[in-house]
Amino acid sequence: MITQFLLDTWLLWLLLGVGGLLWWGGRDSQYVNYVFNRYLLALATLVLVSGIVFSLMEVLPGDCAEKYIAYKNTQGETITEADIQAERVRMGLDKSLPERWGRWVTNLTLRGDLGFSCAKRQSVNLALGNRFWMSFMFCIAGLMFSYLIAVPFGILSAFTINKPWTDKNPQHSKAEQLAGTAVLSLQKVVDLLLRIISYLGLALPNFLLALTIILLYVFAGEPMPTGLFSDQWVNVPWFGPDGFETGKFYDFLGHIWLPIFVIGWSATALQLQTVRALVVDESNKLYVDAARARGVDGLTLWAGYPVRHSISPLFNSIGFDFQRVFNDLPIVAVVIGLTDSAALLIEALSMTNDQELAAAILFLVALVVISMNFMTDVVLAAIDPRVRKSVLGNG
Amino acid sequence: MNALLARFGRKSKQTKNDESYYTAGQMALIKARFKHKTSGVVAAWILGTMVLMGFFAPFFSPVDPTIRGADAEYRRGAPQMIYFWDDNGFSLRPFSYTYKKVNAKIDLKALAGGGLDALDAFIASGALSSSSQNKFEIDKNNRRYVQFFVKGWDYSLIDLSVGSLDLDFRWDRHLFGVERGQIHLMGTDEDGKDVFSRTLHAVWVTISIAIVALIVKLFVSLFVGGVSGYFGGRVDTIMMSITEAVRVIPPIPIYLACAVALAHIDLTPVQRYFAIAVVIGALDFATLGRRLRTHILTERNQDYVLAAKLCGSSTRRIIWRHLIPSFTSYIIVDTLINFPYVILAETSLSFLGLGLTEPVNSLGVLLQKAQDPDIQQNMVWQFFPVLVFVFLIMAFVFVGDALRDAADPYSEKK
Amino acid sequence: MTVGINLLEIRDLTIDFHTDEGLVRAVDNLSLSIRPAEVMGLVGESGSGKSVTAKTIMRLAPDNAVVQHLSQITLNHQGQDVNVLKLRGRDLRLVRGNAVSMIFQEPMASFAPAIRISDQIIQTMQIHLGYSKDQARRVGIELFDRVGIVDPAKRFDQYVFELSGGMRQRAMIAMALSTQPKLLIADEPTTALDVTIQAQVLDLMMELREQMGMAMLFITHDLGVVSKIADNVTVMQRGKAVEVGSAERVLFQPQHPYTRRLLDALPHLENLPEAPRHTPEPLLSVKNLSVSYPTSGKGRKTELFTAVKNISLDLPEGQIIGLVGESGSGKTSLGKAMLGAAPISSGGVQYHNTEKKVTFGVGKPVKRKHLARTAQLVFQDPYSSLNPRMTARDIIAEPLEAMRLTKSREETDQKVIEVAKRCHIEVEHLRRFPHAFSGGQRQRISIARALVCKPKFIVADESVAALDVSIQAEILNLLKELKEELGLTILFISHDLSVIANLCDWVCVMRHGELVEQGSVRQIFLNPQQAYTQKLISSIALLDAKESRSHRSPEWPCMAEQSVSVVSCERV
Repeated sequence: MITQFLLDTWLLWLLLGVGGLLWWGGRDSQYVNYVFNRYLLALATLVLVSGIVFSLMEVLPGDCAEKYIAYKNTQGETITEADIQAERVRMGLDKSLPERWGRWVTNLTLRGDLGFSCAKRQSVNLALGNRFWMSFMFCIAGLMFSYLIAVPFGILSAFTINKPWTDKNPQHSKAEQLAGTAVLSLQKVVDLLLRIISYLGLALPNFLLALTIILLYVFAGEPMPTGLFSDQWVNVPWFGPDGFETGKFYDFLGHIWLPIFVIGWSATALQLQTVRALVVDESNKLYVDAARARGVDGLTLWAGYPVRHSISPLFNSIGFDFQRVFNDLPIVAVVIGLTDSAALLIEALSMTNDQELAAAILFLVALVVISMNFMTDVVLAAIDPRVRKSVLGNG
Repeated sequence: MNALLARFGRKSKQTKNDESYYTAGQMALIKARFKHKTSGVVAAWILGTMVLMGFFAPFFSPVDPTIRGADAEYRRGAPQMIYFWDDNGFSLRPFSYTYKKVNAKIDLKALAGGGLDALDAFIASGALSSSSQNKFEIDKNNRRYVQFFVKGWDYSLIDLSVGSLDLDFRWDRHLFGVERGQIHLMGTDEDGKDVFSRTLHAVWVTISIAIVALIVKLFVSLFVGGVSGYFGGRVDTIMMSITEAVRVIPPIPIYLACAVALAHIDLTPVQRYFAIAVVIGALDFATLGRRLRTHILTERNQDYVLAAKLCGSSTRRIIWRHLIPSFTSYIIVDTLINFPYVILAETSLSFLGLGLTEPVNSLGVLLQKAQDPDIQQNMVWQFFPVLVFVFLIMAFVFVGDALRDAADPYSEKK
Repeated sequence: MTVGINLLEIRDLTIDFHTDEGLVRAVDNLSLSIRPAEVMGLVGESGSGKSVTAKTIMRLAPDNAVVQHLSQITLNHQGQDVNVLKLRGRDLRLVRGNAVSMIFQEPMASFAPAIRISDQIIQTMQIHLGYSKDQARRVGIELFDRVGIVDPAKRFDQYVFELSGGMRQRAMIAMALSTQPKLLIADEPTTALDVTIQAQVLDLMMELREQMGMAMLFITHDLGVVSKIADNVTVMQRGKAVEVGSAERVLFQPQHPYTRRLLDALPHLENLPEAPRHTPEPLLSVKNLSVSYPTSGKGRKTELFTAVKNISLDLPEGQIIGLVGESGSGKTSLGKAMLGAAPISSGGVQYHNTEKKVTFGVGKPVKRKHLARTAQLVFQDPYSSLNPRMTARDIIAEPLEAMRLTKSREETDQKVIEVAKRCHIEVEHLRRFPHAFSGGQRQRISIARALVCKPKFIVADESVAALDVSIQAEILNLLKELKEELGLTILFISHDLSVIANLCDWVCVMRHGELVEQGSVRQIFLNPQQAYTQKLISSIALLDAKESRSHRSPEWPCMAEQSVSVVSCERV
């Protein structure tokens, strides 16, 4: 029986165990102490978030009991007011908000149980299935896509930022000046174009972008890449009689590029601005000049010095970038017809008023973001000596 | 280095704006640096023009955008072009043509004899669809000249009415119009409302929501950042934890939830408009609040603040006189940079049908119509607001970029 | 090497800058030449164009610098004359690290903070000398040893912030020397260092130069340092070379009035003032004062760092008292504590002969209004001590307005004008913002702000450290004037002994939070008692008399023997 209890509450013991280890290590090492502090802070924030999310979802009209009654109604049974009240008591819905919240949190930490969705009449864990993983994958893929574009473009943009349009250096001959002007102008124009394209990703609301692309497909007469799979592959399992179904995989890729592209493009704009600002800041510092004075030039200079020092702040922002990308996902999911958790979220919020499901999904997102923040903080403090110094004092 | 030089070096020729540079306050310095950024200046002009046209939308629109101005004769109509010359000759005054609705012919006789098959064929031919029902014939010989400063529908120029005091200045002149009937530069929608006029009005509505949202955001951020930064210690930790917790949650689902909640309360469109703006603004305090707090924490330890303390300045005086002006420029720049994001938030909400809805004119509402396949295929000109929207956002972003580059003139202190 | 051929020759160098204020001329027709293995001292204050010149030699001038058409810089490399200004692309490496190397003023800022020092030095050697990684590593550690870094192998792999100040400078010197350059440009390398470390680094540089036969372009504003190290001197003022010649001649027989002014600012130990007959009454007494700051210690504990350890001191009224110490000695903390601006952990401060009694300490909080009218502080950094968003008039009027000492705006204005005139600030300038003023002018505004409510005591915390020598002299004269005219008591905190010698009546020496010695200026400078004080005094860079200069190597006979008209050895 005791083993059963322990197995049931595995999440709680895991959390406590990690905390204890960190506390023990933190007595001597400043770094472990820092990790411990961040760990506590992360947990505290999670609790706060759960509170906010839970109370916010109360805003949605209709509670569980009413939905149950509605369900019963569709079954053809008639229900009285007393029955509704009795149902409430049975479900524990007549208790106060803090109590219900406490119950929810304890269920979560003890067992990893995200609650029971009244609208769907099944446990939330079941309803979510692997859809949250899907959303997670989309967001990460979109983020990768945007980093791949934003980082090099941002560096290039930083490179051209304070350069003039023309070359008026009296040391160059007229011919050299002309050539110089051509190169500078080209750089400026390319930078401008890149920025316009990237900002377009921001300005075009992603639903519009998705719509436009679908329209293009319509005009071209091709089948629209909505959803995750086309009709012929939807019900085919991944591992068929001949092994891995590569056809399904290609179909999957053919569909998935659309949401990733749409999400990625709008995320690019913000990254681009950030990277640009960071690299410009760093390249104005003295050590870059000092490196140039030692003969380091060209790509080695840029990559090794300002860029390398800008990576940390960028790395640090991964958590919030994820949150921003997930923010865009619901609408895109609706337009493209995806069936991941973002679509579920919208459905839960606007149509079925499914408080529990919505709260659980939001909580999971918050969990991902907070964990990412925690990990990036910890990793940075270990790797980047500047961060270590500023965070630990005289480490 | 060069800044140091500028401070100590002598000029080879006296520049006449010496004195003005010396007596220039912070905002003037920022403006001067901003002027050097070409992309920012161009974007600023575009932005300024659009905002102006939006603010004086009634003046610039030839047609009343509400249902009152709907042109019953010209529903679902294509844009009416303005020409300077055609087969009939060149004209200095721009003109447009007369449009007459063609009565769609329905061949009832054929129907009568054919039975169900004929009915099927008839329906399949699309003769009953609204697009073929609303075809217009252009009469090229009948010109309607464009007139300027035309008397048209009456609107409120500036409404300063407060309470029962009526200070509503009304006017009825418009920038341009045509001789007979109305001109629809960008066509009309299903009800006959002019797209061009609606878009212009929508620009202002959207911007004003953004302004309200940003003001609310500013106050909340100031409060959070100020208290946190000034008191430090425990207060700071608690407030920052709350801020982090709020920041972690993706905002759009929260807006959705609030919008759903609002939908169940009876509100007039105007009240709903404000409520949405307040919600968007209040939930977005995290980044600005955090930046302000960091800024205050560092500025608190600056020498000049200590100097003020040693001069006997009270806490309140230090806050008002020294700390607050130190971040005014940052606030202004940040607000401008955040305009596009707020506009996008409102648009997304309206797109999902949970923000503003018809018949209110906002860019979000107009964009929502783009979802309708009927519009996509038959009335492409209704995508005009999309174009305007994109331009508006791009202009904001470029201006924001340039401002951020020009922003802190005191960063090159040493 | 033949004496006749120049290693580096600069002719008619003219550089302009595009700034917010318009086109500014930084360097005006400069001509300069350096022979192989010769040390050229380039002297000038900020704005003189010396740093820009150095950077242009290495083609590192900022983007908004325009080198005018007729300028010429020629480097003699392996027998060939190379036109430095026309170098492009990879060829630029010749002047960047290969034949010419540079060391900077701020060693902390010139190493990349997140990359190990070893990686940076090895990279340099790989680029210019083509060494393999192991080879470069060996050479690097050897160099570290040569420049006097203790435990070189361990330090080689560290990050720059893990080294102390003097070590960083040595590491930078090692890095610059790793490519065996022919010309080493040193841009104010010792300005940011403490006096004792300064002396060590200078000795090191001289030693290395002898061993490697390297030429040096030594840029500084400190003539004392120049006298120790340079063979030839060029003095620059506002972009022009105003005096050129052998060090001997320029330093001891200056012709241009600017050079004379610079020389006047050095300490004259010959005519230190006599102490007054009887020591005046103390204005303020400090008893058993300790100042402690909380810092984070190991693990979770917070430790207390004691900056000032149990000091008792009396400051005589009406005198200028110098508080001397190196960085970390606690002198700033002590000065701030006297104004109630530092956390006092024990003891107290008491002011005498004031209108209202002013005492404070542990258990007795500061009554700010009373204290503010008795004592004020002038800060070190003229840039951060003035609110950049307030006009000069508002800044000076701050104490009056904050404490409501005047009844009307006109009265305030009047007082402001009065004190501005006393500090030699022009009245029309009062409506300008701080960014319009130079460092020296800003310090005047700071002083005016401190004076406006007529205090009796002023603490000047390193107030002239950030200023040029000639401007320093003006501010110091102003302080002397104020002492004479107003009977002000001034506590002058500084690490620069030469300034103290020129200014103060009474001197206190601090080290690691404790008072080492105090006495009149004559006593301390001419007859120091404690070992530490003696070490400090001996490391002041004074004008070296001719004896030490004759120890120069005999290759340059004309320098050592003759003291006047060394025309044949100069190239003007």
